[in-house]
Amino acid sequence: MTTEIGGTLRRTALYDAHRALGARIVPFGGFEMPVQYTSILAEHEAVRKRAGLFDLSHMAQFALRGAGVGAWAETLTVNNVENMKGGQARYNIFTNERGGAHDDVIFYRLGDERWLLVVNAGNADKMWAHVSAERAGDVELENLHGERALVAIQGPRAVEWLQPYVEAELAAMKYYSCAETRVKGTRAPILIARTGYTGEDGFELFLPSDEATGVWDLLLAENRERGLAPCGLGARDVLRLEAGMPLYGHEMTEEITPLQAGLAWAIKFDKPAFCGKEALLAQRDAGDYARIVGLTMEGRVPARAGYPVFAGATQAGEVRSGSFGPAVGKNIATALVEPLAAPDGTALEVEVRGVRHAAVVTPLPFYRRPKAS
Amino acid sequence: MAQPAGLLYSKEHEWVKLDGDVATVGITDYAQAALGDIVYVELPRVGATLEQFGGIGVVESVKAVSDIFTPVGGEVTAVNDAIEADPALVNRDPFGGGWLFKVQLADVSQTDALMSPEAYDQLVSQA
Repeated sequence: MTTEIGGTLRRTALYDAHRALGARIVPFGGFEMPVQYTSILAEHEAVRKRAGLFDLSHMAQFALRGAGVGAWAETLTVNNVENMKGGQARYNIFTNERGGAHDDVIFYRLGDERWLLVVNAGNADKMWAHVSAERAGDVELENLHGERALVAIQGPRAVEWLQPYVEAELAAMKYYSCAETRVKGTRAPILIARTGYTGEDGFELFLPSDEATGVWDLLLAENRERGLAPCGLGARDVLRLEAGMPLYGHEMTEEITPLQAGLAWAIKFDKPAFCGKEALLAQRDAGDYARIVGLTMEGRVPARAGYPVFAGATQAGEVRSGSFGPAVGKNIATALVEPLAAPDGTALEVEVRGVRHAAVVTPLPFYRRPKAS
Repeated sequence: MAQPAGLLYSKEHEWVKLDGDVATVGITDYAQAALGDIVYVELPRVGATLEQFGGIGVVESVKAVSDIFTPVGGEVTAVNDAIEADPALVNRDPFGGGWLFKVQLADVSQTDALMSPEAYDQLVSQA
């Protein structure tokens, strides 16, 4: 069950902790990862109402060093990199010549010449090969995949429950900022970022692997009885779908461009040059591209990735992600559809096992967290 | 984990309760736990004729779709309407209120192909 064709599965530093917590383990991105500890719905609720703790150590961390990193990365990605300040994190996308996505990533600028790049687990090898092949001038790369752990605490209580263990004043950190700070149980300061993939407030902690279990146990020791729940990748996928966040391989691929994925805000067409710029400009100007939309199913039948989507008698696209959305109370999905089928409120149908079921195009995100008081 | 006595089991993790030549069918506790939170169940229609071990519907959890294979063949005489409105009933009470459908058996001897509670228990404890 946990074998993968053509490769050996790796384990994160927290594998034993997951087993001890009764997690169900599945292969994901080359690692044996917890998909759930109790139930996806219970873990989802913990994150929306209190906070959840995630092991994301399967994601690949690349250290980038050198005065040339910013300028170099500008040419490979759609968003701005060089103008990031120390202590800033920024979402970005590495593109191919056709404007498709190699991966969506986050850059963290630790200092003038020190950066961290976090890429998806499933793209780790491809991305390492890509950045290595494109490496130029004053850029040093170090692949920390599997050597560094990543633990996230996500939810409205994240500040309160993490703060006692951290020197930095968490409430003062802005969304998408990062800081190197002392954390109880670690030898040296570690990077903490106010980033996440759940639609809630929260933090991600980048740790040496041998310190991961200590910090994980510390965070659960006092907070678990208050309601901090260890959460698996199952809940994480539902949370990100509700929050309208793309998942590589679903809403974005080597073929589905960031423009199609609704990420125009991240594409800086005023940059002098970047890989895929001409293709993306042409796609934008033509305007007739299929695009990712949100779908809400009207009945009780869930839509799933790959199901065909119809506008009247015509196939208008296909579902790319689908799940029950607990915060919405309905089945929700994303679909890649032709422009005519894309306006909000359009009535479409999803074909499920040969039967068509009503769906309506719904603006993303499906869920937005209440404003902090 | 002991399996309820008086039922027969399939290797696809369904249970059968015989009452004369009418069989009530559901999924086992092991199956519901493996599936996780159930959000939708698609059942055959009353009057449909099922072939033993055929795929006759699906059960969907939050993230996944799984086929239901009927452990017995015959004509469907009832389906459990309660789980249409409350699919999680299958999680909460898989051997009771979460039953799926009833079948009028074409041939009672087909149950010879099913497992005893002890044999099924052995199957799931090896999984």
